[in-house]
Amino acid sequence: MPDVKSFIDKMGDRITNTVEKPLRLYFEVPAEHVKEVTGYLFNELGCRLSTATATEVYRGIEVLYHFSDDNSGQYYCPRIVMTDKENPTMPSITPIVQGAEWIEREMNEFWGVTFTDHPKPERLLSKDHPENLDKPLRFRRLS
Amino acid sequence: MNVNGTTNTVPVGPFHPLLEEAEYFNIVVDGETIVDIDIDIGWMHRGHEYLSEQRTFTQSIYLVERICGICSTSHPLACVHAIEDIDNIEIPLRARYIRTLVGELERIHSHLLWLGLAGHFIGYDTLWMWSWKYREPILQMFEIISGNRNHYGMMRVGGVAQDVDPDKIPILIDHMDEIAQKMDMIAKAANDDPVLKSRLVGVGVLTHEDAVNYCAVGPTSRASGVPADVRKSEDTDAYSLIDWNVIVLDHGDVYDKLVVRVLETVESIKICKVCLEKLKTVQGPILNNVKEISPGEGIGRYEAPRGEVFHYIRSDGTNRPIRHKVRAPSFVNIPTFAATCKGASLADALITTASVDPCYCCTERSLRVKDTGSNVLDVDLLELSRIKTKVIRREIHGV
Repeated sequence: MPDVKSFIDKMGDRITNTVEKPLRLYFEVPAEHVKEVTGYLFNELGCRLSTATATEVYRGIEVLYHFSDDNSGQYYCPRIVMTDKENPTMPSITPIVQGAEWIEREMNEFWGVTFTDHPKPERLLSKDHPENLDKPLRFRRLS
Repeated sequence: MNVNGTTNTVPVGPFHPLLEEAEYFNIVVDGETIVDIDIDIGWMHRGHEYLSEQRTFTQSIYLVERICGICSTSHPLACVHAIEDIDNIEIPLRARYIRTLVGELERIHSHLLWLGLAGHFIGYDTLWMWSWKYREPILQMFEIISGNRNHYGMMRVGGVAQDVDPDKIPILIDHMDEIAQKMDMIAKAANDDPVLKSRLVGVGVLTHEDAVNYCAVGPTSRASGVPADVRKSEDTDAYSLIDWNVIVLDHGDVYDKLVVRVLETVESIKICKVCLEKLKTVQGPILNNVKEISPGEGIGRYEAPRGEVFHYIRSDGTNRPIRHKVRAPSFVNIPTFAATCKGASLADALITTASVDPCYCCTERSLRVKDTGSNVLDVDLLELSRIKTKVIRREIHGV
């Protein structure tokens, strides 16, 4: 079994609101520590990024990364909550994990999250869309 | 083809002539060598995540079954795993074997479909016809088990929708024995053919480092030495109750991806036979009655034929998800084209992009476009690929 406790101890106060379930660990990370924490998961623990999920929550816009330890089936899910709903911004982890490029571009066009330092900050799904998509796609539906 | 100085751009798409999902590739070539590839997707976005959030949990399972015609068990299975993960719902033993049986049958028919198309692309039409002929009994097995050849509607939260008729199990075992013999023949034919090896060895290599960096999944990563398989790492369904092997190879080229799929098919046949034997003796219910889903979040995944299918579901305690995230394996495997196509010849572009099995349908050729001048240029990628095989065959066999 993976040593989840040692991971939590190692991260210290960089992670908060930890929720443990069988083979699942959800925790909150401030945007300024996201590169450090995801870098540790990817480079040191050898986890693979499955994908990421953006969601609108009461507090703002949430981005939840899903890192899988394929040897044990353990999931580590760092959660980043941006309270500025009009202009949610956080650092991109694509410079660390190449596999995050597409999903961060997708979250940008669906939820309006700006990923700073993203190597290719272009639209993924609606690059050649004939309409002027001035709002994130999910919020166009609600308006 | 747009001619700009020493490099030319070959557009493939936007309605891709080869792939089932409409995609657009801009292949930049210098002579016959690919120097860059730009991938553009989003031409048939259907909004499944949003649609699922408007439906009940049970309706969502039917909806995600229709994301892909080939993976029509993998998506609902990952979806029910995610819902079951919220409340740690146990499923009956007999249902675990039925889920595993249906999932592995899907893997066999999907790999046979890919094998046939791969043979067609490189000019091995006999392999194509064999594979598709021997795929037919699998579809008949699905009809015996579920009543449908596709979109089986078998998955439910807490178990499966239909039991396997005990009277039909001997017929299903006979079908499996027949497929096992034919797969042995195909495996030996693929292994013994010098032309096939010469055509595919060293083509479209995805290194171990690139497979890790791009977070590739399924046979695409296992052919590059990454031993990741959801069926081994998660104790779902009946995989932990059966003795089977994860197929991992090291070279990362198209030939290894082909061999991984052929050997995985053999393993799948083994798993299906064990499941059918177990279903003779393991009795009991096939569905736990799940009344409601608690507030919470759950992750569900399943090793689809193309790799890990990932579903994330968040519940607020009502009868429908408030967030449903779906990630299909092609979403992480297609970006690896940037690593595998660069440096390859244009004749290898077709089989290299096809080697990750990115949901394609068979077709003839790429777009016929006009350049900025008046010359009309035809670029027939399929013909280029088949000509290269003919040249290799002539060198080896003299015919």
